[in-house]
Amino acid sequence: MDSNLLVQYGPALLRGFGVTILCWAAGCAIGLALGFVLMLLRRIEVKPLRWIIRAYIEVIRGTPFLIQLFLLYSGGPAIGLRLEATTAGILGLGVYGSAYFAEIFRAGYQAVPKGQVEAALSLGMPYGGILRRVILPGMLVSTIPALVNMMAILTKETVVLSIITVPELMYEMQTMAAETFASFETILGMALFYWLLVEAVSRLGRRLETRMTRFLSHPSNARA
Amino acid sequence: MAVTDTPTASVQRVAAADDTAPMVTIRGVSKAYGSNEVLRDIDLTVNKSEVVCLIGPSGSGKSTLLRCINFLEVYDRGEIRIEGQLVGYSETTPRRRLSNAELRGLRRNVGMVFQQFNLWPHMTALENVAEALVQVRGLDKIAAAERARLMLARVGLADKADSYPSRLSGGQQQRVAIARVIAMEPHLMLFDEPTSALDPELVGEVLQVMRDLAAEGMTMVVVTHEMGFAANVADRVAFLDRGRIAAFGPPRQVFHESPEPRLTQFLQTYHERNSF
Amino acid sequence: MKFSVIVDALPHLLGAAVTTIWISLLGVLLGQVIGVLVCVARQSGNRGLDMAGGVYVSFFRGVPLLIQLLLIYYMLPLIGIDVPPLVAAISALSLASGAYVSEIYRGSLNAVPHGQSEAALALGFSSATIWTRILLPQAFRFSVPALVNELILLLKASSLISVVGVAELTRTSQTISASNFRPLEIYLAAGVIYLAINSALALFGTLVERRLQQG
Repeated sequence: MDSNLLVQYGPALLRGFGVTILCWAAGCAIGLALGFVLMLLRRIEVKPLRWIIRAYIEVIRGTPFLIQLFLLYSGGPAIGLRLEATTAGILGLGVYGSAYFAEIFRAGYQAVPKGQVEAALSLGMPYGGILRRVILPGMLVSTIPALVNMMAILTKETVVLSIITVPELMYEMQTMAAETFASFETILGMALFYWLLVEAVSRLGRRLETRMTRFLSHPSNARA
Repeated sequence: MAVTDTPTASVQRVAAADDTAPMVTIRGVSKAYGSNEVLRDIDLTVNKSEVVCLIGPSGSGKSTLLRCINFLEVYDRGEIRIEGQLVGYSETTPRRRLSNAELRGLRRNVGMVFQQFNLWPHMTALENVAEALVQVRGLDKIAAAERARLMLARVGLADKADSYPSRLSGGQQQRVAIARVIAMEPHLMLFDEPTSALDPELVGEVLQVMRDLAAEGMTMVVVTHEMGFAANVADRVAFLDRGRIAAFGPPRQVFHESPEPRLTQFLQTYHERNSF
Repeated sequence: MKFSVIVDALPHLLGAAVTTIWISLLGVLLGQVIGVLVCVARQSGNRGLDMAGGVYVSFFRGVPLLIQLLLIYYMLPLIGIDVPPLVAAISALSLASGAYVSEIYRGSLNAVPHGQSEAALALGFSSATIWTRILLPQAFRFSVPALVNELILLLKASSLISVVGVAELTRTSQTISASNFRPLEIYLAAGVIYLAINSALALFGTLVERRLQQG
């Protein structure tokens, strides 16, 4: 690529990258929070509530992300939900992620040994305290690999937002490709860039995982 | 809620004031999983400062009975009272099962030691002991840590305060678990096979801590396979078989004078295992 | 919401759904072939092959599918192959699927006890025989649930090929809603169709898994 192009399109690409990061971070945050709440609600022993949440998760996981985005962005106005592309993108990413995160959290909750909760109950600890101090830390350890994986997947999904005209990196790049007629080179560059980005997110996650599980590791006392 | 002098409250006060009143009374307690009756019409009284051991073959219901006492396990019929207070249900008729939140007041006075220790792996020994002091007893962090250190010293683990459970031997983990309980100054302690998950050479250190507690006058109900401990430390021993208490009394009587054939058979397996 | 809109569009949507299904099936089948080859390359013991396989898997799992798709779409004409978008789309799906499938097989192969190959070697089997008669049949059995899951993932991912103009379910929904201005109804209908196909596949996967566990 010649340097004139970088001067010309650099700022737009940078801005696009900023939007990508914003969408990803906000989408992850919404997804994690919503997923966690869904997991908690699912533990309440009210059958209809459980069915609704189960259906929500199945629907989100059973349909393409792109269709969800179209529904939200193009279908929304029909029911009075008029969102800007970026807002719709962030919300869509969050909703999409929440179903997967909810399942990850559910598995994590179940993986916390029952005895650890019983010990806390038998000491008279309140549920909020048990959740915060016993269950959550235990969950975090067992769910981090899956959470990181899902966050890496969401990194990749951000490019889909370009289809509903969210001005993120992919969108800016396609504009540039169209204007310069250098489609292949631009896309190849983009591919390499995302490859590195996803790899970086995964690496970071693995580092985090080793850090957070350090206290569990002891040669003579291996715990899965 | 308006504070009124309910009958329950006054009963409790009388019971608490009376030192000769039993710590635990179990009357006609039954429990079934479907058609499988795991507890059948159990009656048992544990007096203050008494050590009662529950022995019996696996599946006899002894652990289930113990777990009913602090309502980690729900019993269907009969009643269990601790210091006069009904465990797990409201005093109304028909009775209503209490939630975990409503059980907190009772549980804070009843300590439990588990077979698998159940320490929290992400907290150090000290943090394990201090946690409930902060959350339940309302101590501030510094006071809780101070008290936790004291308790670890009592079980001989002052130097392990900053170790995570994964760095401790099974015997040490179980002693931390005991420290975690005694820090709460329970009126009653329940032990659910506290030495069954331990390597044989680590059993002694845990039993010693339990002996010390008994000598200090702690009321204890102990599910155990350690017949030596039951014979030497227990005031009374209950032999459970197929959900019933088949023999009950002072250890000498249960171990040597009981006519119960199932008990003789049960004890025989122990003799055989230990004679080599 | 106007239900009649959906009724009118349904024949087109269902026709497009069939396209989505066969494209995804083709993608998974070609992905199988690629996946097995990559997997064998990575397990062959040849360092060059192993590394090439590793890079392939890392690239196609790390790069967003949409970018892979456009890359192939723009690359093929550059190297002188002028193909319809459909071919580019199926190539992209197969290549991506191949990367995931090879990982599924690798996991399944690792689940075959090592002693079995040793036993076969001791009996004088050639390594090709060991692969075709011992390792792959078992790996396939272990991997059936993961492969059905892969088909579901690919079915959802295939919605992205709408961007190069392949008239599958998503693209058709776009076209219809652009002409009748009823995106809510049309996309809802499309979502339900995707959900139905995927639920049927998931059910099928559970049945097959149960069958394999029994036999």
